[in-house]
Amino acid sequence: MSELLVKNAYVIDPINHIDGEVMDIAVKDGYIVEDVGPKATVLDAEGCLTLPGGVDSHTHVCGTKVNFGRYMSPEDMRAGREVRRGVKHATSGYSVPTTYANSYRYALMGYTTLLEGAMAPLEARHTHEEFSATPLQDMMANTLFDGNWAVMKAVAEGDIERVAAIVGWTLSAVKGFGIKLTNPGGTEAWGYGKDISCIKDEVPHFGVTPAEIIEAMIQACEMLRLPHSVHLHCNNLGTPGNYACTIGTFNLVPDLNKTRQSLYATHVQFHSYGGSDWKTFCSKAEPVAYTVNNLPQIVIDMGQVMFGKTTTMTADGPMEFNLYRLHHNKWSNHDVELETGSGIIPVLYRKKNLVNSIMWSIGLELALLVKDPWRCLLTTDNPNGAPFVKYPEIIALLMSKKYRDAEFATVNRRTESRVILPALEREMDWNEIAVMTRAGQAKALGITGIGKGHLGIGAEADIAVYPLKVGEIDPAQEYQKIIDGFSKTRWTVKRGRPVARDGEILVHGENTTIWVDPKISPEHDMSHDPEFTEMFNHWYSVRMSNYPVQDEYLKRNLRIETEATI
Amino acid sequence: MIHEDMICPFCGCLCDDLVIETKGTEVVRVDNACTLGSHKLMNAGKHRLKGPIMRDSGQWRDASYEEAIEYAAGILLDADRPLLYGWSSTQGEAQGTGVSMAELLGGVIDSTTSVCHGPSILAIQEVGHPGCTLGQVKNRADLIVYWGCNPTEAHPRHMSRYTTYADGYFLENAFRDRKLILVDVRKTETASIADEFVQVKPGGDYAVLSALRAIVRGREDVVPPTVAGVTKEQLLRVAALCKEAKFGALFFGVGLTMSPGKYKNVRNAIELVDELNRHTKFTLTPLRGHYNVYGSNEVFTWMTGYPYAVDFSRQIAFYNPGETTAVDLMARKECDAALIVASDPGAHFPKKCLEHLASIPTVLIDPMHTMTTPLVKCQIPTAVTGMDAPGTAYRMDGVPIHVKKFLDLGYPTDTEIIGKIFEKVKEVRHP
Amino acid sequence: MMRIVLTMKERTNPHIPIEAEKINPAFLMWGTDDLTVWEGNKERRLDEIFEVEVEGTATSVNEVEVVLRGDTSRVKRIGEYMDGGRITVEGNVGMHCGNFMAAGTIEVMGDAGGWFAREMQGGAIICHGDVGHYCAAGYRGEKKGMRGGKVEVFGNAGDFTAEHLFGGEVVVHGNCGDMPGVDMQGGYLTIHGDCSRPCGNMTKGKCTVLGCVSEMPPTFKKEGEVEGPDGLPLTHFTGDVANRGKGNLLVRHYQYLE
Repeated sequence: MSELLVKNAYVIDPINHIDGEVMDIAVKDGYIVEDVGPKATVLDAEGCLTLPGGVDSHTHVCGTKVNFGRYMSPEDMRAGREVRRGVKHATSGYSVPTTYANSYRYALMGYTTLLEGAMAPLEARHTHEEFSATPLQDMMANTLFDGNWAVMKAVAEGDIERVAAIVGWTLSAVKGFGIKLTNPGGTEAWGYGKDISCIKDEVPHFGVTPAEIIEAMIQACEMLRLPHSVHLHCNNLGTPGNYACTIGTFNLVPDLNKTRQSLYATHVQFHSYGGSDWKTFCSKAEPVAYTVNNLPQIVIDMGQVMFGKTTTMTADGPMEFNLYRLHHNKWSNHDVELETGSGIIPVLYRKKNLVNSIMWSIGLELALLVKDPWRCLLTTDNPNGAPFVKYPEIIALLMSKKYRDAEFATVNRRTESRVILPALEREMDWNEIAVMTRAGQAKALGITGIGKGHLGIGAEADIAVYPLKVGEIDPAQEYQKIIDGFSKTRWTVKRGRPVARDGEILVHGENTTIWVDPKISPEHDMSHDPEFTEMFNHWYSVRMSNYPVQDEYLKRNLRIETEATI
Repeated sequence: MIHEDMICPFCGCLCDDLVIETKGTEVVRVDNACTLGSHKLMNAGKHRLKGPIMRDSGQWRDASYEEAIEYAAGILLDADRPLLYGWSSTQGEAQGTGVSMAELLGGVIDSTTSVCHGPSILAIQEVGHPGCTLGQVKNRADLIVYWGCNPTEAHPRHMSRYTTYADGYFLENAFRDRKLILVDVRKTETASIADEFVQVKPGGDYAVLSALRAIVRGREDVVPPTVAGVTKEQLLRVAALCKEAKFGALFFGVGLTMSPGKYKNVRNAIELVDELNRHTKFTLTPLRGHYNVYGSNEVFTWMTGYPYAVDFSRQIAFYNPGETTAVDLMARKECDAALIVASDPGAHFPKKCLEHLASIPTVLIDPMHTMTTPLVKCQIPTAVTGMDAPGTAYRMDGVPIHVKKFLDLGYPTDTEIIGKIFEKVKEVRHP
Repeated sequence: MMRIVLTMKERTNPHIPIEAEKINPAFLMWGTDDLTVWEGNKERRLDEIFEVEVEGTATSVNEVEVVLRGDTSRVKRIGEYMDGGRITVEGNVGMHCGNFMAAGTIEVMGDAGGWFAREMQGGAIICHGDVGHYCAAGYRGEKKGMRGGKVEVFGNAGDFTAEHLFGGEVVVHGNCGDMPGVDMQGGYLTIHGDCSRPCGNMTKGKCTVLGCVSEMPPTFKKEGEVEGPDGLPLTHFTGDVANRGKGNLLVRHYQYLE
């Protein structure tokens, strides 16, 4: 039994409608409780800003593609070297750091829960191995279905129940969390070097369109009663004029769920581009945000770009090849049989570069134009837009028009005619930032019920105390204090245990892997379906019996069983 | 007892469809494996060292596990530059423990990668890697290129499971529809079924690859009539075959990585494949040898940031093949103690290196008497992953596979032994 | 002027490498008491490894001269990030001498190990003996190698000399091994002796080989004859055509691997 009391905390807890109340938080055995005894360890927050532990609903930190990013980048490794000290392992890497470096840096910023954005089912075991080496955050893996042959065949047959059955079986087999579609249909087309331009194109050989895949998956997701909605990386990422495709995709989405969105659209910055080529490239954040504002069934995340070096990595293989042709630096590609693809290239976003400057503006515009902060979450699509260590700067940009103007003065001068950022006056408050970095993310992922993203009684005791005195700082003026404050917590508490203090890592830790196991009726159990098993044993390069991730790959884990309607 | 869908712990193909029949601790039958895998598996329980052995004034004597573990921890702790080498034929779990121990000791950890596909990694670090999983090749490829390798001998089931002889979803008659190009310095058995056999003069791979790149770019005008023994006519035919393919897959072996120019050869091959991707779909895959050498690269990478040759002597991870690689450390007599795990440098390293190895305190963790045994001071036998121990391995294309156990011989696993050495180390050197 | 003489002491195991990036005028001018070097995995005080003699004082790094004596062939990283002053190594030096150096002068009287002047930015570095592989090269995975300054080698250089060269000048008076100037993107490389396979995949820059090139890359376009230093006739090639390259390769004699 361990007890902890965080005293004099200035709490913002949006889910429980607490907006700046000084209170004590009692913790027992990893959970928040009413009261603790006199022997509890006391942390005196001294009136500092105290939030639920941060949640990142879209990041790339573990798995085949991330590790390949590391493997091919020794030059990035030497950029983030720290010595081994005490419980802390040696770390390497800036944009693609080691698992330990990711975990420590997130912990120092107060983040306690992460969703790995893209796990290929065939390589799931790898993601789970890396989860075990990410000690200080609870982990979930979105599972890729964008080019899944069995799914596309079931969609072509119009059999949504079969789609749900395949998704359900796969999630249970690979210990995944939710459905991820990355350029649906496009990754399959890339198998022969082709791509899909938008939702009405037909996927070669399969006779389905991305629109049909997306619609079927949204329905299947609800049939399986998954906590999270379909998580979509739209077609046509990163190309001028793609905003029309993005809006067309959003307009497909029905409102099927009362408690959360029906579609989570990720890194929308990369999908809000106007113009017909790179010369006429401009921001279309306004029409995209307008569409989001009118469709409560949609939640987006920013995918903010920040200037500097980073590494782009996505399951969107064809897009990465296009990027390679632009940058002509190193390029990796890794197509995964019957399922998906992936690509990696290093990039440098430069202020001098017009396109990069417009991209930077678009992300901020989206956040400022989407009225409801619960529906536009703060991300960089780490590390695609920027490494996550840039989050504090993004927070400051959202809270301070003055900071935005100061930064805008340093970007490419021609940006002004292509964006609307300078005209946006909105400055976010502390509560909105708390929503965009934890409460909103937990709600969108459907994990508030398991105690994430809030500090109510019974919640997991994941707490971040920042060295920020809300009443004494004017975020609009003192943006440097905001950046410093959100960069390093005074304490990060994970499952009731202080894991970081003033920039020091205190414990080795052990994470929890959160996964979903939909309970499906025996007649929809794919493990005995003749067509499905035959497809497996004929066309996969591994046997079906060797495909599921064994239980021993999950150390601590939380299995969420859902009652599917099939 | 019949064990189905078993995984072969021999080469980087990690075939997972084996059927193994056991009677007690004997293997009586192995189905679906190649001759190499079969041979290893049929002899699964044989030739094992009974227990640890240690050398006393030149003579071997039996020792207890405790004594051997104590000795191993002692020599590593006493060293100024301990080397932890091997790691390609063991469980991923043992590799991870090894990395943590190297980190705490301030040692150098390296895998057999540095003597096989290290150059491939150096090339990938310069220009990336256009690759895919093997099933992608099986289902789609209508052109296969084997360069500097002889799959018939070294990866006998590669062609039947993933390339020439495999069924392909998008190919009507896979065997007939797939073309095969073989590039090598000598005519091997595989050449007899190749549509094009390109015989390159030794050391000429780089030049031939450059010439092909120029031709694919439409600059055949600069290419001389013959390049490293290959006629321009043949180069033009090969380039045309590559461009006309719907999906080409290039596999290469140590014939490319270990011939002069080493990683620059591989870089040139990668850049040829990049160029071909402007015309069609093309991928490239190194034919990895040991069944879990790729796993060592994966584990090292997520833990340290680097795939092999990691030097922790200053409590940070430093990487520089040529400086921090095992062969180079031994040749310069730098390491003053060594732990060799699941590999046989005695059979593969230059004499100069082995002389140094024999002169320093060295512990070998290996189930059997090997060419390395005569060079070490202590050997600890362990269970063989894929026979009497389960574990994780990564196939040559990065697909992680759970390797299964089908025997129980009572040996501790590599993870357990290394874990115990690590515990002893931690008693002295607190984290 | 300040003169610091570091004389290597006898060591129990002379094979263990020493990492000594603190042997740099910028550190030494402020005193040697707090400086450490690494011998394998042990951190040692500078004076445990070297006899230290200091004469005079300096107000700027440019007034500092460092002299190394004794068997320094295993001492690595001497003059790393050097930004002024002078280092003279009387004997041989270990790997990574003058890495990232931006200004000042390093002179090695004997031979130098691998990665001599890796990723150099400016200044001058001279080796009177032979240098190992990767002289004036880059780091693994980094696109650009040496960017500025001058490297001069009076003996022979190993393989991959000036790999990824991006700027500055490299002169080798003796022979080079295999693949000098491979992947070079700028700068000047001059080889007075022989070499094999120069400048594969080069995109920019100029390489001159005054000796004989064996295994001349087949993907360079012959532009004609030009006059080289001392009126020597040279053949001018451009390339590497395999890579849209616009580099210049001038050679005295060459032969292809046919």
